[in-house]
Amino acid sequence: MIFNRFARETRRCVEAAVEEARALGHDSVGEEDLLLGIVRADEGVAAEALSSLGVTLEGARDESEGMLSDALSSVGISLEEVRREAGDALDMTIPDERRIPFSPRAKKVLERALREAVGLRDNYIGTEHVLLGILRNEDGTAVRMLARLGVSPEMLEGRLFELRGRVAD
Amino acid sequence: MDEKTRTRIGGPEDPREGLEAVVALRRTLEALEAAQVENAFVAGWSWAQIAEVLGVSKQAVHKKHAKRIKNRYPGEPPRRKGKGE
Repeated sequence: MIFNRFARETRRCVEAAVEEARALGHDSVGEEDLLLGIVRADEGVAAEALSSLGVTLEGARDESEGMLSDALSSVGISLEEVRREAGDALDMTIPDERRIPFSPRAKKVLERALREAVGLRDNYIGTEHVLLGILRNEDGTAVRMLARLGVSPEMLEGRLFELRGRVAD
Repeated sequence: MDEKTRTRIGGPEDPREGLEAVVALRRTLEALEAAQVENAFVAGWSWAQIAEVLGVSKQAVHKKHAKRIKNRYPGEPPRRKGKGE
């Protein structure tokens, strides 16, 4: 199984992704949750690259909510009004007892992470491979979330390899 | 014809945007359902009463919400509104 080849930082990032998905009311763990997981776990080259480009956990969560809000307003619903009407009881969190699966796209990202690692001749799957896997899906939710944060795939990939080069020296 | 169909269905023109709106609605609906069921429970409604209004079986409501709500309100079942009240 692919999980066996994950570096410890990658396992932590995947665990964090599941927690982020729950907190945001996502009934499956998607690409944007994997991205949030990398930022939240805050370990490894990927997290460093993201934070050096100004991506914070708070900022990324806000954009995730912003995307939800935009999607709702495209069909004429204001998330703000729903929140105001429903009051404090409105809680998007998915309860612990409900298991949530990985979305097909998130699974694909993890598979691609393996391929990225093999391509770079790394003998581990680190968060940078997961991040590269995320960036390969250009119209995915994570890439769009990054765009909202002012980060393009090219910028991020460039920074990633810069930092990897530094670590290798 | 296309124009007419689009007008009737309404909403975003980009299919992906439309589908993503459905996902967003589902998430919001789930959160609203959880909130309203919890409100009703706290107000003393029975599972049967909640289920009746939601138009589903008592078992369905219980299966979906009981654990979460009981975790949140441990050991203090609110006073139930009996049928006679």
